[in-house]
Amino acid sequence: MALLEYALIGGILYGIFFSLVGIGLNLIFGVMRIINLAHGQFIMLGGFGAYLLARGLGLNPLFGIPLAIAGGIVIGYPLYYGVVPRLQKSQDPEMLSFILFFGIAQMIEAVAVFAFGADQRSLPQDALGSGNIGVLGQEFPDSWWVACLVSVLAILGLYLYFSRTRLGFATRAIMADRDEARATGIDVDRVSAIALIIGIALAGIAGVFVPYLIGSVSSSIGDGLTTTSFAIIIIGSLGNPLGTVVGGLVFGIGTMLMQTYYSSWSNLAPYALLLAIVLVRPSGLLGKAVRRA
Amino acid sequence: MRTHVKRAWTACAGALFASGLALSAGAPAHAATAPSEIKIGTLYASSGPFAVASEGQYHGLQYWAAGVNKTGGVFVKAFDKKIPVKIVAYDDQSSTATATTLYNQLITQDHVNILMADFGSVLTSVAIPLAAEHHMLLIDPTGSGANFFTKKTNYLADVSIPSSTVWPLPLAHFILAQKIKRVAIVYGSNDFDASQAETLKTTLEKGGVKPVYYHGVPTTESNYTVLLHTIAAHNPEAVIELGYAPNDIAFLHALAGSGLHFNMTFTIFPGQLLALMEKNVGAKTLAYTYTYPTPPLVAYPKTTLGPNTAAFVKEFTAAEKAAPNFLDAAGFNTGLIMQQMLATAPKFTQLDFHQALMDMSGKTTTLLGEFKINSHGAQMGELLPVAQLVPAGKGVTPVVVYPQDKATGKAIYPAPKK
Repeated sequence: MALLEYALIGGILYGIFFSLVGIGLNLIFGVMRIINLAHGQFIMLGGFGAYLLARGLGLNPLFGIPLAIAGGIVIGYPLYYGVVPRLQKSQDPEMLSFILFFGIAQMIEAVAVFAFGADQRSLPQDALGSGNIGVLGQEFPDSWWVACLVSVLAILGLYLYFSRTRLGFATRAIMADRDEARATGIDVDRVSAIALIIGIALAGIAGVFVPYLIGSVSSSIGDGLTTTSFAIIIIGSLGNPLGTVVGGLVFGIGTMLMQTYYSSWSNLAPYALLLAIVLVRPSGLLGKAVRRA
Repeated sequence: MRTHVKRAWTACAGALFASGLALSAGAPAHAATAPSEIKIGTLYASSGPFAVASEGQYHGLQYWAAGVNKTGGVFVKAFDKKIPVKIVAYDDQSSTATATTLYNQLITQDHVNILMADFGSVLTSVAIPLAAEHHMLLIDPTGSGANFFTKKTNYLADVSIPSSTVWPLPLAHFILAQKIKRVAIVYGSNDFDASQAETLKTTLEKGGVKPVYYHGVPTTESNYTVLLHTIAAHNPEAVIELGYAPNDIAFLHALAGSGLHFNMTFTIFPGQLLALMEKNVGAKTLAYTYTYPTPPLVAYPKTTLGPNTAAFVKEFTAAEKAAPNFLDAAGFNTGLIMQQMLATAPKFTQLDFHQALMDMSGKTTTLLGEFKINSHGAQMGELLPVAQLVPAGKGVTPVVVYPQDKATGKAIYPAPKK
């Protein structure tokens, strides 16, 4: 019973963090119908940013969060205006974005190998606290709780952005119908550019915690994280950022339960769940209900 | 007139053919076929989970090739002369799919003379059937999965690392000698780790110790926190984690953050890539854990082929401005073995290369220890002892604790709480 409790609580913490990992990808897809195959590489850059701050300047890795936001602006703004409007004019923007962002992902990875080498990099073990915090008698490292807390705050911030701000309303309008939104006078490009910036920044923020949750950051982790993010957002609901939370929880709990009871197959669990959910509910667990609301 | 000319041509052609036959029968076969360079085909990974180790191995090979080419190349007995070495290498990015295509390219397009595998069992596994299919000897530096060596073959030779079936023998014997009764084993689901885990389990069971936890994890596993808690629930005295470097880093990180303590913790890669592990998990986390120390962390002072371990470290450091790790040494050692193979094989054929290696087996000691392969291609020499990493200054240093004849100190068991 204690093992089950530990796996469930661990799965929730891990899942909430992976909601943050996937949410930026879903936001970008939801707003622009663009498949950002470089999502994992943006997460990786966030990890290296935190690494540079911690190891190079001796700062707490949490300073990587504002750095990730700044990185989101620096990368996202020119990337949007340089690429997205042209993609939107093409006959098949989704497929074209697939190819284009695959190229961007490869470029980022190559630059990262050039800059950081191929080996693994970790952050100071005790920078986010050296103890453990227990819930229901089950203790987890401080870094897990900090990662979970930041993830919750980021997701909550995104929720408030959607539900309380004019830009958020405009973003939702674009997600519902891009052309209609434009017809109502919404500056679609400006709102979409901000969404791309937010999406990349969220990926970068997730990257800050990657060394704590998956052991280390290296230039080759991007593709794996992109694949995992896809599984999570499809489980939740493709195009619905907040559905990612449900996807993340399903992924986290499924992985940890498998690790506890049948560890050899733990990597298979999320993809088996993905297959089952897509067969039963092709739009994902929160698909139709949330989109109609 | 036309008949005379025809006869003359026929006579000339006949004479040429006859002289050709005479030459090929009487003169050494190599005279006409000596290549201008010996092409060694290999792969390396510049990215992906095996990149660090693979690049080290490749670097060691390049260092060896540069050294022999400075002296005019390698002596090839079949041609009775020195021939320069050329390395033909492609980047497989740690992908077995890419590696399969590239190994094929090395054999069928580049027509390399010697085929050498990339680092480790995962990237070697795809080369073995290809080499056998094309009747090429695969020089296997560090692919040690037990599944590779299940039948007699002329086309596989593991040269720079012991077979996985013999790696954990000293570790198992150490555990039994320490009278540790409760052992947990968690291993990566790949040839390298799974075959070690199987040997370890079998040897422990023969000694009366049945592991209390014995489970595989995916090779890409990166989070061990919940897994460690599950292991701890079985109350083990010793936890043995068999994985690649990224697994070991994630495992040791999770252990350090978990607040759990075990009397003995064992991981593989601190013994091969100590600097990388220290950089990632810190000396405090590594302190009092156990590993297999590999050269140059353990030294072989007497060799029959090439420099001894200390001389290699000195020469490599002077030339490359960085101290070598085990993978550098393994790549260099593979070059040395190939060099001796070419120097002793009477004919320039793959079967003669293999026979030359078999003839060297048991009679050769290099910087990695005794070179001893069996008819299945498995390396049965170059055995790795067990060492404990003890604090030394700001870092840790390995102290060999088993077997007794190689021990440089006594194990601190149980490990002190940090």
